[in-house]
Amino acid sequence: MVNFALFGAGRIGRMHAENLAQRSDARLVYVVDTKPEAARALAEPLGARQAAAEEAFSDPQVDAVLIASSTGSHADLSIAAARAGKAIFCEKPVDLTLPKVDLCIKEVRKARVPMFVGFNRRFDPSFRDLKKRLDAGAIGKLEQVIITNRDPGLPDLRFLASSGGLFLDFTIHDFDMARWLLGEEPVEVFARGAVLVDPRVRTEGKDIDTAMLLLRTASGKMCHINNTRRAVYGYDQRIEVLGAKGMLRAANLAPTSVERFGAEATCVDNPWPNFQTRYAAAYAAELSSFIRSVKTRKPVEVGPEDSRQVLVLAEAARKSSQTGRPIRLK
Amino acid sequence: MLEIAQFGAGRIGQIHAGNIAAIKDVRLRYIVDVNADAARKLAARYGARVVAERDALADREVGAVLIASSTDTHARLAIAAARAGKAIFCEKPIDLSLSKVDSCLQEVDKAGVPMFVGFNRRFDPSFSALKARLDAGEIGAVEQVVISSRDPGPPPLSYIKVSGGMFRDMTIHDFDMARWLLGEEPVEVFAMGECLVDRKIGAAGDIDSAMVLLRTGSDRMCHINNSRRAAYGYDQRIEVLGARGMLRAENLGETTVEHFGARGTVADRPLDFFLERYTDAYRAEMAAFVRALTQSTPMPVGAKDGRQALVLAEAALQSHKKKQAIRIG
Repeated sequence: MVNFALFGAGRIGRMHAENLAQRSDARLVYVVDTKPEAARALAEPLGARQAAAEEAFSDPQVDAVLIASSTGSHADLSIAAARAGKAIFCEKPVDLTLPKVDLCIKEVRKARVPMFVGFNRRFDPSFRDLKKRLDAGAIGKLEQVIITNRDPGLPDLRFLASSGGLFLDFTIHDFDMARWLLGEEPVEVFARGAVLVDPRVRTEGKDIDTAMLLLRTASGKMCHINNTRRAVYGYDQRIEVLGAKGMLRAANLAPTSVERFGAEATCVDNPWPNFQTRYAAAYAAELSSFIRSVKTRKPVEVGPEDSRQVLVLAEAARKSSQTGRPIRLK
Repeated sequence: MLEIAQFGAGRIGQIHAGNIAAIKDVRLRYIVDVNADAARKLAARYGARVVAERDALADREVGAVLIASSTDTHARLAIAAARAGKAIFCEKPIDLSLSKVDSCLQEVDKAGVPMFVGFNRRFDPSFSALKARLDAGEIGAVEQVVISSRDPGPPPLSYIKVSGGMFRDMTIHDFDMARWLLGEEPVEVFAMGECLVDRKIGAAGDIDSAMVLLRTGSDRMCHINNSRRAAYGYDQRIEVLGARGMLRAENLGETTVEHFGARGTVADRPLDFFLERYTDAYRAEMAAFVRALTQSTPMPVGAKDGRQALVLAEAALQSHKKKQAIRIG
């Protein structure tokens, strides 16, 4: 049994709490939030208790913390958890700045606690199977990767202004997928961003809403990523990988497979509308992976070093889009 | 009756000749080819005569020429045809050098003859329907275009060496599609080229894999991906994202039969290769050329389109070599 303290009672925290509640090998003990009422409202129906951070960290029965609070608090909470000797599950990203991520990595290493970073897409059953087949040589040597990642609609403009920008907030998932699929670190990033969805994204959100990127690894493997904050047909999440012996492709998933054949056209369901629905299985599976690592003392499948590399790519993308130049990485 | 003189009796020439023969009120009058045997065979099949270039161009009965000879002869023949006052259908590319294309365009302009450049993909039924629906506003303003264009296997090295390089030879089709679908001229090209398929291609000075990003003045974006070798067949897909949705054209298989077996479901490979995949497109482009001629309407795809695609190809080559984004215009 792995006992958890959850930090953050918001949207993503609630989802993790509910996933924990369904497990027989894990137990949610505490919920911590800057709003104690929110923590209580989430904790009590699930048989857990609202607590202050200090209480959660100092309780020896807590084995692991799950950090799903706002991004700015991830690194500090991770460091505190490491010092308290707790295993860490941290929502992505660890932090939006490299020095803070590095400090966190240092503290976690020093404390010798496992730290998992929630790049959930690696745990999507389709993407995971694609990667498994790729590694098994189903399409031979990898040559090209294409990642389509489009949100169904604009988030709150105030959120955008504090998000760190599209590359750090949104493309970050794709950078992780790119690294994971390419099997090599990208050494070159070219990124183009634009405001095509809503001019207020620029004026009020201080951000962009559309992007296309190219990445290249040292051995010449290439990757294309395309993003938008608004795809009216749903949450568009596709991957395609070209190799010497073929292609692997994972298409969108829809709530049902029903097709309607009408007088004018044949219609199918739109893709799942948002990340909660699309990646429900992935969120449950990433938690399983973390718990497995904690119980068996095996290395975590995705750690803070991955979050660091992704941040390096996001920073390079931002620089590239600002200068119009490809950015070379060491 | 429109009388046509055709230059080139090779693979693509045979396709065009067949398509001309199927159009009412058009006759294939002459075949010209350096390979006399090939010319004779093709001429015999469609009741045409084999003549020398000079004779074909001198005949006042000939209203149009069809240039489907080797690339290095396109511009010279187009200029000769323009001077002879003939309408021109020219296979892509007009030439591999921009200066030669420009002198060709100048001569065609001066002669005032119509010129069509054979960017066949615009006439593929699926792609042209996609474009018509895009233009009808079905998905609102265009934001992103993604073009996948992969050959089933690399051509012989002897061809690679004279092809002008992948961007000019292969991606040129995608540059034309990109311009057509974006509805605006790209102002920036960034291209990555690699040799991942066959080292001999690299040794011959060319690349076999590429990824390209284009951007227009109003920030519409386009991604093109190319490979000289897709093991699963000729991969030809387009997707366009707009403010109100996405339009997508998928690969076509030879049949629609699916086999549901114990280990998975298997469908046909995409149609392989361009002559098969674009059969309808070749037929439709010839019909469009003839229609524009007989109705005296502007050519749907002309010499300037041929030039612009080449400008993008040259920029891509430069970008690949310098590892920089290249500004256009």
